[in-house]
Amino acid sequence: MSNSKLNILTKGFFKENPTLILVLGCCPTLAVTTSVVNALGMGAATTFVLLMSNMLISALKNVIPDKVRIPSYIVIIATFVSMIDLLIQGFLPSLSASLGVFIPLIVVNCIVLGRAEAFANKNTVFDSLLDGLGMGIGFTIALTLIGGIREILGSGSFLGFQLIPAEYNMLIFVLAPGAFLVFGFVMAAVRYIVNKREEKKKHCAAE
Amino acid sequence: MDKLLHISGSPHVHSDESVKKIMWSVVLSLVPAFLVSVYYFGLPVIILTLVSIGCCVLFEYLIQRYMLHQKPSVDDGSAVVTGLLLAFNVPSSLPIWIMVVGALVAIGIAKMPYGGLGHNPFNPALVARVTLLIAFPVQMTTWPVPTPIWGFADAVTGPTTLGLIKEGGDLTQLPSYVDMLIGQMGGSFGEVSAIALLIGAAFLLWKRIITWHIPVSFIATVFIIAGIFHMANPAEYVNPMIHLLSGGLILGACFMATDMVTSPTSPWGMIVFGCGCGLLTIIIRIFGAYPEGVSFSILLMNAVVPLINKGFKPKQFAH
Amino acid sequence: MEYIIMIIGAVLVNNIILVQFLGICPFLGVSSKVNTALGMGAAVTFVMALATLVTSLMQKYVLEPLSITYLQTIVFILVIASLVQMVEIMLKKVSPSLYRALGVFLPLITTNCAVLGVAINVTQQTIIPGHGFSVIDNTLYAIAIAIGFTLAITIFAGLREQLELVEIPKGMKGVPIALITAGILAMAFMGFANLV
Repeated sequence: MSNSKLNILTKGFFKENPTLILVLGCCPTLAVTTSVVNALGMGAATTFVLLMSNMLISALKNVIPDKVRIPSYIVIIATFVSMIDLLIQGFLPSLSASLGVFIPLIVVNCIVLGRAEAFANKNTVFDSLLDGLGMGIGFTIALTLIGGIREILGSGSFLGFQLIPAEYNMLIFVLAPGAFLVFGFVMAAVRYIVNKREEKKKHCAAE
Repeated sequence: MDKLLHISGSPHVHSDESVKKIMWSVVLSLVPAFLVSVYYFGLPVIILTLVSIGCCVLFEYLIQRYMLHQKPSVDDGSAVVTGLLLAFNVPSSLPIWIMVVGALVAIGIAKMPYGGLGHNPFNPALVARVTLLIAFPVQMTTWPVPTPIWGFADAVTGPTTLGLIKEGGDLTQLPSYVDMLIGQMGGSFGEVSAIALLIGAAFLLWKRIITWHIPVSFIATVFIIAGIFHMANPAEYVNPMIHLLSGGLILGACFMATDMVTSPTSPWGMIVFGCGCGLLTIIIRIFGAYPEGVSFSILLMNAVVPLINKGFKPKQFAH
Repeated sequence: MEYIIMIIGAVLVNNIILVQFLGICPFLGVSSKVNTALGMGAAVTFVMALATLVTSLMQKYVLEPLSITYLQTIVFILVIASLVQMVEIMLKKVSPSLYRALGVFLPLITTNCAVLGVAINVTQQTIIPGHGFSVIDNTLYAIAIAIGFTLAITIFAGLREQLELVEIPKGMKGVPIALITAGILAMAFMGFANLV
């Protein structure tokens, strides 16, 4: 894989992380990160939708008239969301119960529509696939990071394995305020690291 | 320092010296309540207070020095006040490590991310107390029974006055007014003695560090609304005097709500702020899940201070 | 009385932003000025009430009788998107001044997950115990939820206006400090837990 293709894939991981840098898709980030399992489930579902809609929209970019492109995108996205929603309801009913309304709400996740508008309707199918996959993985990384911190601090467990005895658990981290606080601090930390790395790169290039 | 403290809307704090003076006066005003707590709850009070103050000062120093790269300004005493007020808001049986977590929340979440003293929109001690209450509901609501003998206070636990009312317990077990006035009742260790807190508040009023607006409007609102409920149905709703003397009302109204950084600037704004605190306190006490609403109500009103300041502009900005 | 309880529940206890995490994007994005926040709140209230009314009618008289509820997501988002378009066009014609005030917010509302979230939520729960599925109850609930939305973004906008005036440490500037503030606000709102 050439370097530029690799870059399309990996830029979503950290440098242009949809959640932590671009601040898109905040609602699911706050709502479903009470545990790592929920975070991974949401990440996977969103990645699926992102991948499929990016590919289809890119394939149809010359067919869809410009004037009705946003409604068309929404229909395409909503179709894939309904598919994944029904699949999860059928095969993973407990995950479906804990993610609740946030699965159908992937439709209005700004990341999905944002990538369609900003990337998929201008690029090739393969590039759109890479972009969707990269952004999806970046979203999953952010969710898992936040979900991991919240689960460890709030329930004392990781992926359901108890690490810390119950009397040391801080309930607030699995509740609403904990979501905002952990998201805020994780965002600050990741931005700090990414900025440092960028500065270093610039510094090296200058020399 | 001077530059740091100048924010529009809170023109109280002018110089390093006056901040110091204010902070140490607040500390002094809390000494009577501290002594009463030591008398009733013994050694744990001293240990928790020292841990809380020590950690607040230490965390502030470390964050300023190594994360913000500022000149540390812990000698202004604001971290000491935060630590002291935080300690006053916990039960004396609290494990020490939770006290450390509380200090970290107060300084690391509520104060320093905003840039330190004068910038924080919420009272740090209250943010920490509410965080602890939500994070550790069991440890934060295990109340040792006051025993005026040194030590061994944490052997027996009992309900607070408000807890007893909330759970619909036997109301004949309520402490007498005299006990509530001097502090012989269960509760966070700094809030029990109404009389000692009022002495401290009188000192702050005399020193002109606080004004009467917030405490009076806060307490009066609680008293009047509780009185209306009591008159409507005395069997269900307790005497307003009990609401006045129990829980953290006096501590909150005189020492926490009056925090000049997080309260409105104009007299009318302060009265609106105080009435709002009182209204929310009594709503949460009577209808909410938590027996005590003082900390929640002050935090909620902290959040609307900018809107209150918009409505009641401070005099110096008016034409 | 049951309506008062429903309204207090929707505005304070289950506040859409601070408890249910819906509509975070406009909460973080738009609410840096109190006036803008009020405008956004008014626009959201209008659209949310209308959207819930129409989607509830669709659910009751189209999706359920034809047993095609699996198309709910697609149908609802299309209804909302076209409603927003219609409101925009009508507002432009009928009341240009109101359009100037609310116009800029309308396109943003299509992707406001609060609108779709409420529309879906009311089909999955009974708003007032014992009433069953009632289109009127659902619409009133949507209005109450929107009032809670407006309350939260207005309070938050006030706080952010104040934060503009002080120097926030570099790493925390912008969204991180907004999230911390929102976290403390959510903490304060937990005082309303079990109020009703």
